[in-house]
Amino acid sequence: MDIYKTVVIMLVEDDLGDQKLIRMSLREQRIANTPIVAGSAEEAIDYLVKNKKSEIAPMPDLILLDLNMPGMGGKEFLRWIKSDPDLEAIPVVILTTSDSDKDILESFKLQAAGYINKPVSLGDFQEVMQTLTDYWFNICRHINYEADRQVSKCSNS
Amino acid sequence: MENDEKQVCVLLIEDDPGDQKLIKMALMNQDCVINLMVASSGEAAMDYLRMSTDDVAGYPRPNLILLDLNMPGMGGKEFLRKVKADEDLCSIPVVVLTTSDSETDIRECYALHAAGYIQKAAMPEEFRNVLKRLTRYWFSVSALLKG
Repeated sequence: MDIYKTVVIMLVEDDLGDQKLIRMSLREQRIANTPIVAGSAEEAIDYLVKNKKSEIAPMPDLILLDLNMPGMGGKEFLRWIKSDPDLEAIPVVILTTSDSDKDILESFKLQAAGYINKPVSLGDFQEVMQTLTDYWFNICRHINYEADRQVSKCSNS
Repeated sequence: MENDEKQVCVLLIEDDPGDQKLIKMALMNQDCVINLMVASSGEAAMDYLRMSTDDVAGYPRPNLILLDLNMPGMGGKEFLRKVKADEDLCSIPVVVLTTSDSETDIRECYALHAAGYIQKAAMPEEFRNVLKRLTRYWFSVSALLKG
């Protein structure tokens, strides 16, 4: 019997318009997903640090990360998360307007697991999110923190 | 045919000749031209990568590495660890392609910064389909470092 799977995607994005576009296109995807939206890298870190060991608040299965944010930028966040042994295994995919070779190189050096130029239209966003969620949740196996929690809940009852 | 048809280079590290053939065929007829290099061991792959770093002709730097885990000699995880520790090579995304469905293997590979973990499909048709979707992500949607 299939356990109904919801994946948790964290979005680290300061632009409200882009937040909306991304949330809308994620809602359209066949894979049920719960977005955690952080409006800044600092907010994202706060959530992750607070909830690392939590039984209730979910750890993301995937992080979509903007590069250009006020305060702590995306690269700094990426450097931070990849140096935390409790969090470094979470795949982080860059979603940015920048197409600079330097940004691409530095992101991959910091172990980004993909680098996507933000599409402009909702339709294009949907297509991109379709390929992205298909790759990460249909094809790739991943550390499903939520499934771990679901399974242990079932065995306790 | 477009003049600027996309060309990418993939390094496949896989010791089983049957799987090598299957993956080679599955990567043909994709939307972009895939230049596939095949290494049968972690050691051979490291040698190849060192040549590609030195810009030796005929050894193009891969845009993506597909990595089997269970290989004699240098296993996949050891290779992954070495590549990710190399300042120059660590920027190449590595996707694990394996029969193993062990939770430990999955966790360890992601902790070593694998950029994906894919279980080899049993049926060739299914495997071809999986690889098509993999290439769609890496070559149509994600930007890659120029080789």
